[in-house]
Amino acid sequence: MQWIDLLRLPLAALAQQKMRTCLTTLGVVFGAFVLAASLSINEGVQQTIERESSKGNIARKVTVSPRWRGNDNKTKDDVKVAGRMSPDRRERIRKILAERSRQGGSGQEHIALTRDRLDTLSRIPHVAQMVPIVGGAVVATLGNRPEEASVSSGAGEDPGFCKRIVAGRAFDSEDERSILLSEMFAHRIGLVDDVDLDQVIGKPLRVEIRRQVNGPSFNVSLVDRAKAGGGKDEDSALRQLAWQIPGALDRLSLTDEEIAALRKAIRQESTQSDPALVVDDFRVIGVFRELTDDEKKEAWSQFPAHTDLVLPRQTAVDLALRDPVWREDGIVQTVLFVDDMRNVKEVVDKVEALGLGTRSIVEMIERERLTYLLIFGGMTCVAGIALLVSALGIANTMLMSVLERRREIGIMKAVGATNWHLQAFFVIEGALIGLTGGSLGLLLAWSVSFPGDAWVHSMVHKDMKIYLSGSIFAFPNWIAATVLLFTVGATILAALYPARRAAMVDPVSALRHD
Amino acid sequence: MAIRAVEVRKVYGAKGAQVEALRGISIEVAEGERVALLGKSGSGKSTLLNLLGGLDRPSSGQLSVGGRDLDQLSMREMARFRSTTVGMIFQSFNLIASRTAVENVELPMVFAGRSRRDRLAAARQALEAVGLGARLNHRSHEMSGGESQRVAVARALVNRPRVVLADEPTGNLDSHTARHVMDLILDHVREHAATLVLVTHDEELAATCTDRVVRLVDGQIIDGV
Repeated sequence: MQWIDLLRLPLAALAQQKMRTCLTTLGVVFGAFVLAASLSINEGVQQTIERESSKGNIARKVTVSPRWRGNDNKTKDDVKVAGRMSPDRRERIRKILAERSRQGGSGQEHIALTRDRLDTLSRIPHVAQMVPIVGGAVVATLGNRPEEASVSSGAGEDPGFCKRIVAGRAFDSEDERSILLSEMFAHRIGLVDDVDLDQVIGKPLRVEIRRQVNGPSFNVSLVDRAKAGGGKDEDSALRQLAWQIPGALDRLSLTDEEIAALRKAIRQESTQSDPALVVDDFRVIGVFRELTDDEKKEAWSQFPAHTDLVLPRQTAVDLALRDPVWREDGIVQTVLFVDDMRNVKEVVDKVEALGLGTRSIVEMIERERLTYLLIFGGMTCVAGIALLVSALGIANTMLMSVLERRREIGIMKAVGATNWHLQAFFVIEGALIGLTGGSLGLLLAWSVSFPGDAWVHSMVHKDMKIYLSGSIFAFPNWIAATVLLFTVGATILAALYPARRAAMVDPVSALRHD
Repeated sequence: MAIRAVEVRKVYGAKGAQVEALRGISIEVAEGERVALLGKSGSGKSTLLNLLGGLDRPSSGQLSVGGRDLDQLSMREMARFRSTTVGMIFQSFNLIASRTAVENVELPMVFAGRSRRDRLAAARQALEAVGLGARLNHRSHEMSGGESQRVAVARALVNRPRVVLADEPTGNLDSHTARHVMDLILDHVREHAATLVLVTHDEELAATCTDRVVRLVDGQIIDGV
């Protein structure tokens, strides 16, 4: 018998019972649809998370911060619990005391991000780039006007930062002695007109790191106003007033005695206040704007987002580490950029082995993986049940078909069909139903993915203000292969028993049947 | 020798409720010989025909058809034997209702492994030979009893079998049609020097169409060996 006939005869048999074939196939279509949708969403969500994570190199980023490391040597056996009590209770109390001792005891060691540790971190294999983050409050003086300001390091790691420069330029190198002002900081210190922004370029700006950046303090009160009720603007204005009062005493309507008394008081105050620990002058080379709404909507917004001043990365680190306290305590954090997302876990392990804390998107992805694994598992169960029901339906239908076609089977045997031929016919009928149902189910899942994707995009945008790029459904070739393999496999299994029954038909009794 | 049966027995049913359909039948039929099996219902004629056609196996005894020892054949070889060595014609035609005349005639050639083009040509030719050239694509419910039986004859003879086994082929036909169908069978047998075993109740048909009449009673041959 020719192979093409093994296909032609089952096809003819299926075509003969059109409605039954359609209904049987429909069950397989449903099972294949759920399976394809489940696999597609699982793959698509993974790809979406990785795609969104890889925006701005976030997936390769490991943020390292200092950490307190407890004294692990102290075991619960070292803790003595006094008093008469049951062994169980003593054990419970001893265990908790030992744990607390480990967490908050005097034996804790501070693992700081000192210069040595930064060097060690930069030498970890697969670390492509290290970006130390220095930030904090300083006193910035432009001309004769001191102003509290926040300063950050960096912007070098973000190529998009150049777009935010509204006057002057961005940094050329990581260690140049320049500084950038934020548009809002410039506005706050009186650079209101556009021309002021151009004129500030090239001017020196003094940066002072103090232990307490509170400036001179006076008990200034406005009548009938509680200090807390004035809000941030009033507080800022009062602090600015406090900064400027010493230089403005002459211009106030005060007697010489009053001025002398106030100057004396201010001198006393100044000697009590904290002197600057580090002072340095930088040249203003540019002004940058705040993030736009669109830039804020980016899932992984770039650094720096809200800061008054930006120093080149290495310049900022050098400035900070001139402070003896910073030198000892180290910087607040550093960011490591790993050469490939797949190596992030290895780098994280190495950093944590040094006793430092880490944070990376990979950890979040790992946590998210559990969520979508549960969803995927649930959908796969539904698909499995649907396919099982379809398979049982197919087995039942084909068994009926064997009974109905008993005479036909007898005739085929009488004219030369072997048992193998008859089994093959029924198995191929099952496989054809599986193949057609699986293909249609795949097609349906693919068709539904378009409105489904649009709905998910709108939901995510509505609830999270995130524009997802790409589809949350993915249809790589392996999904099509898996779905077809499952559906054809299930239907073949379902057809095996009816096929065996067909082969066992006795031609003599089948032909006697009328 | 075209057919040789030695002490062939066929027993149906489970132990304790057994029915002996054939009781040690021995018969020989020469190449090209036409033999009629005559007997009442239940005498074992059809059972013997089914054994000769390879549809069933004897409980004991030796059976050789067309030079093949049937008890030596595997299931696959037996199927091949049915499609090429013998051609069977049944009283109730046994056509597949959902298939056309040409598809029914084509069927033995499908299992014999002949190419589609080859078997379509052969099926058309066979149907034209039995006068159904205009009925190629008709299904059995669109044809009369005589036409259906002629399709069955075309199907049985299309592979040019050495042995033709006919189980009351005219039993459901009027006399005129019966004569025509028998002529078709006999023409083939003469033309190809085939052996014919005809099961019938009809004494006259047996006498006119065959060389020898073998009578069966209760599973035993009583005359004509």
